[in-house]
Amino acid sequence: MPREIAVFGVLLPAILPLFLASLLIQGALDWVLGLAGVYRRVWHPALVRLCLLVCIFAALIGAYYQ
Amino acid sequence: MTPEPAPAHHNKQPRSAAQTGVHWLALQWRGWTASEGERLIFVAKCMAAAFTALWLAFRLGLDSPNTAMTTTFILALPSSGMVLEKAFYRMLGTVVGCAAALLFVALFPQQAPLLFLALALWTGVCTCGAAMYRNQQSYSFVLAGYTACMIGIPSLDHPTAVFNLAVTRLTEVGLGIIVASVVHDALFPRHANRQVMVTVQARYQRFLTFCGEVMEQRLAPAEVELNHLRFAADIAALESGRAAAFFEAAHSRAHTRQLHAFNHAFMTALTTFYTLHRLTHRLHAAGISPVVAMIEPLDSMLAAALRAELAPGAPAPDWRRVQADLAAGIAAARAALGSVERPVRIDFDTAVELLERFARDMAAFVALYHGLAQQRKMQVSDPLAYHPKTPPGLVLASGVRAASALLAGAAIWYWLDWPYLGNALVMTSIFSALASSSPKPLLLIKGVLIGFVLGAPLAFLTEFWWVIRADDYPQLVLAALPIFALGCYLMTDPRRAAIGVGLTLFGAQVVAPLNQMHYDGEAFLSTELALISGILLPFAIFSVILPEHTMGQKDHVASALWREALGAAKAPLFRLKHRFDNRVRDLLNQLNAAAGPMPNEEARAVVRQGLTLLELGHSVIEMRQLIDASAPSPARAALALCVRQLAAYFRSPDQRHGAAVLSAVLDAGPHVRAALAEEPSPTRKLRLQTALTDLHSIYTSLLDQMPAAPLGEPDHAA
Repeated sequence: MPREIAVFGVLLPAILPLFLASLLIQGALDWVLGLAGVYRRVWHPALVRLCLLVCIFAALIGAYYQ
Repeated sequence: MTPEPAPAHHNKQPRSAAQTGVHWLALQWRGWTASEGERLIFVAKCMAAAFTALWLAFRLGLDSPNTAMTTTFILALPSSGMVLEKAFYRMLGTVVGCAAALLFVALFPQQAPLLFLALALWTGVCTCGAAMYRNQQSYSFVLAGYTACMIGIPSLDHPTAVFNLAVTRLTEVGLGIIVASVVHDALFPRHANRQVMVTVQARYQRFLTFCGEVMEQRLAPAEVELNHLRFAADIAALESGRAAAFFEAAHSRAHTRQLHAFNHAFMTALTTFYTLHRLTHRLHAAGISPVVAMIEPLDSMLAAALRAELAPGAPAPDWRRVQADLAAGIAAARAALGSVERPVRIDFDTAVELLERFARDMAAFVALYHGLAQQRKMQVSDPLAYHPKTPPGLVLASGVRAASALLAGAAIWYWLDWPYLGNALVMTSIFSALASSSPKPLLLIKGVLIGFVLGAPLAFLTEFWWVIRADDYPQLVLAALPIFALGCYLMTDPRRAAIGVGLTLFGAQVVAPLNQMHYDGEAFLSTELALISGILLPFAIFSVILPEHTMGQKDHVASALWREALGAAKAPLFRLKHRFDNRVRDLLNQLNAAAGPMPNEEARAVVRQGLTLLELGHSVIEMRQLIDASAPSPARAALALCVRQLAAYFRSPDQRHGAAVLSAVLDAGPHVRAALAEEPSPTRKLRLQTALTDLHSIYTSLLDQMPAAPLGEPDHAA
């Protein structure tokens, strides 16, 4: 798997698109969880959200570089 | 941030000295955490974000670490929702600005005049856009404008470097945004969501108290106007709080819809209440009328319901009951009134119709409030977003100012050929764009300028006393901490916020270490001088070019209000009422922001004008809706004529057009009455009744506007 991708001759880390993808997934998940009212039941909603993002991002990287 | 009041203790036994001491300490502690503690936590969060971003930028070997640090300072806002909102819009603006810079440099490589013209045009357009929106959406436009300058100007001589510059900028801003969002959202967050609920509750209490006081005639007309101005500001504040809370985890979409609906219901109730209040006021002014005596008990019935609603502990009144009681009261009053002359009958009909409408609006408003307060999910039928409106003259003026600031700066740079002025130019473009969405741009720039001037010696000392001796990162943090901490601390004080912003930005520009430090006193001083002159230029531009064209300037607001009223009579009907309502309130809010807590007589006159136009506009829109829904008939034609005459009056408000409206209204009355008598369907009957009320309120408020107008017999709507 390439570690860097070239965009018009500039090398960008390959995890950048992965990060953007995890932001999108996180957004979708956020919407579902907000709809279900999960965030109102947890102690620190922002931390939960951050941890979810980290988990998604890590899972994507893990799957990509397997 | 006032300390909480001491809880009352009424212990019978005298307390020991130690107990008193502990109690006193606890009180002091609570007061401190509510005021100074909050501010220090904020400073700590800012510092954590700034130095984490700087460290990461070093670690990742980015080209200009201070951009990442600057971003964290720009995102330093009190609540986590606001930080996330600004982060989102900052990213958006940066991406657009980078794209624009690439385009311009590709189009005009090494052609300074053309490039500067293009950049000036772009900045002007972006600043116009910024003036048209509110909150962070506006910031995103500002950023798109000055990011293009930040990338385009340095790559004037090296067009090939532009892509690298753009990528660097994007990366650094992205890094700063991620760090700032994580820090402000996860460490001791202050939630915008909770603040929105506090605003909602305060609004609810103030509005109910206000209505009660007005109904019992305890407020002078001037106070009523002031209250309306405050409510307009409230509406905008709630909207901006909602926009920030939207980005927080605990905020759901359903909540957004409910808040939109709440704001909408509030505006509707406020307008109805204003019309009702004006009518009662007129009746009182006209002298003894049997209507006043008939209406008073109904008024106090509603006032009692409002008081019961506000009373703590007591069960909330059932508004359906209140409405039913009101209807019964009205029926009794109508029976008691018996047969009277027509003008009295018309006044009475209008007043009771307005009272019923107000009770209906109030019931909706209160229901929405309780839904919000108890976090109940409600099905909100048609929630509509808030529409801002800026007078076009001001939009254009801000664009012209930003563009000419950039052009003037570029000309000076070109002529002096002083390399450091590149920095200055960037500052010029940033602050001429930022200041244009402020009601007092000169005050803002002055604050930032003071911050810069204050920062110059401090930054010099920091750099050449402390930073120069730092060997590793922790020492560097220690060396640079004081100046940034001071800046962030100043930011927490609303009166000195601009100074704090200036100080931190200045520090981040000159002190923030680079990958390869080189300490050059002359270059340092030149950069400092250039930055300060870069902020002096927008100051000069704002005081010279169109100094009267600032946000919320009353003449512009006044003419924009007339144009909105004309729009109410002309524009397509789809969602017109909502748009009209929002825009008029937004204009009043701008007026409030510019006029401050004690508006002068002229500003009050504009408020009065705005409220009257609001009343007229609502009536016109209702009439147009009725016209749209009915088949051709004499009543419809007469109403259409009224609308046309009113549009002409809104276009040029003078005696002649006013008189034409009055006669059209007088003509329309009998036709509508006749149609009402023949109408079988109850829903259409209600709408015709509404149209009659509208005709009456148009007639009377126009009479108020033109005291010298020929007074016709007021049996118009007969």
